[in-house]
Amino acid sequence: MPAQRSRDVVEVHDLEPAEFLAQVHSFEFWFHSVEGYLAGTSYGHRPGTREAPLTDTERERLISVLCNYCVGETAALEGASGLVSIAPNRLAKVFLSTQVVDEGRHLEVLLHRLEDLGVADPEAEVERRASPSLREFKRRLLGLVGSKDWEAALFAQNVILEAMEFTVFQSHARTADPVTAEILSGIVKDERRHIGFGENELGRRLRESPHRRARIGEVKRDLDALVLETFEETVREIGIPASERPDLGRAYLAAVARLGFP
Amino acid sequence: MEGEAAGGGRVPRQRFLLEETGFDEVPTRYRRFYRHWQGPGDSLGPNEVLCPVCKVVIRSTRELRAGDRLYCMACMTRLRVRANEAGRLEADCEY
Repeated sequence: MPAQRSRDVVEVHDLEPAEFLAQVHSFEFWFHSVEGYLAGTSYGHRPGTREAPLTDTERERLISVLCNYCVGETAALEGASGLVSIAPNRLAKVFLSTQVVDEGRHLEVLLHRLEDLGVADPEAEVERRASPSLREFKRRLLGLVGSKDWEAALFAQNVILEAMEFTVFQSHARTADPVTAEILSGIVKDERRHIGFGENELGRRLRESPHRRARIGEVKRDLDALVLETFEETVREIGIPASERPDLGRAYLAAVARLGFP
Repeated sequence: MEGEAAGGGRVPRQRFLLEETGFDEVPTRYRRFYRHWQGPGDSLGPNEVLCPVCKVVIRSTRELRAGDRLYCMACMTRLRVRANEAGRLEADCEY
């Protein structure tokens, strides 16, 4: 994109760091952000977007994939709502309240998509098709939230789970039918905030309290293989050829490397 | 913006008019400071760097130099510009 010379002097990057943090963690900021890409949509897509014909095999695969996305989003919804009560400050609590709304929306639009695809009882179908490894991840994540282990729970949810979802949803949106692609693209836009919040909040906590690093290392060893396995399964279901499969771990590994984990 | 001293003093920085590029993930008044990376055929201008966290292109009204502070509002990250070994500008997170 070519840049152009300007007389413009207003610069967002001149904000003071504290002002920047207060703005981006606010409900006001969230509201005007999502308005940009959700206004005029219905259940996550434009009403005029036309359905592409799917074969029975494609439809079955898509249903299985969406069922697993629903498990991930339910984990994120329950996890984020639990994190609100243990977040260490007001800005984190307010941001997490916006994440709860995002996760609730994601679950709703994905369940609605399952109905569109002819699933009579989407929640029962999610129960039936959910991957055991993803269920196990959800159980462990909610255990960390329940034990009020703020850094560990935030790492599990906003670094591990959100990074994997961000990568898989982006990849799937490139090959999905038009309606599913629009739904996933909208979710990815929300996920940018969630991964950024997790990495930055954790980065600040580790900078202030380096002794917490060992605990995060434990959680990483305990959980990351489980999630990588889950999403590898999902990518196979999506039907992306092996040669074109994204390196699912790349975004996650880059995030943990920036936080100082090998 | 910080970092003026790091590269300043010799050649004045270029200034840029930022136009809307369709980026819709932040409030309207901030949208022109960001754009989506278009893939292998895309390139960064002298006033642009890629956010290492969410891969959005961050733009400034000024030519960027090592030491400048930037914000990615799409993922809420504060960044510091540096030149890599090849002299290309990149950004590191500042937690």
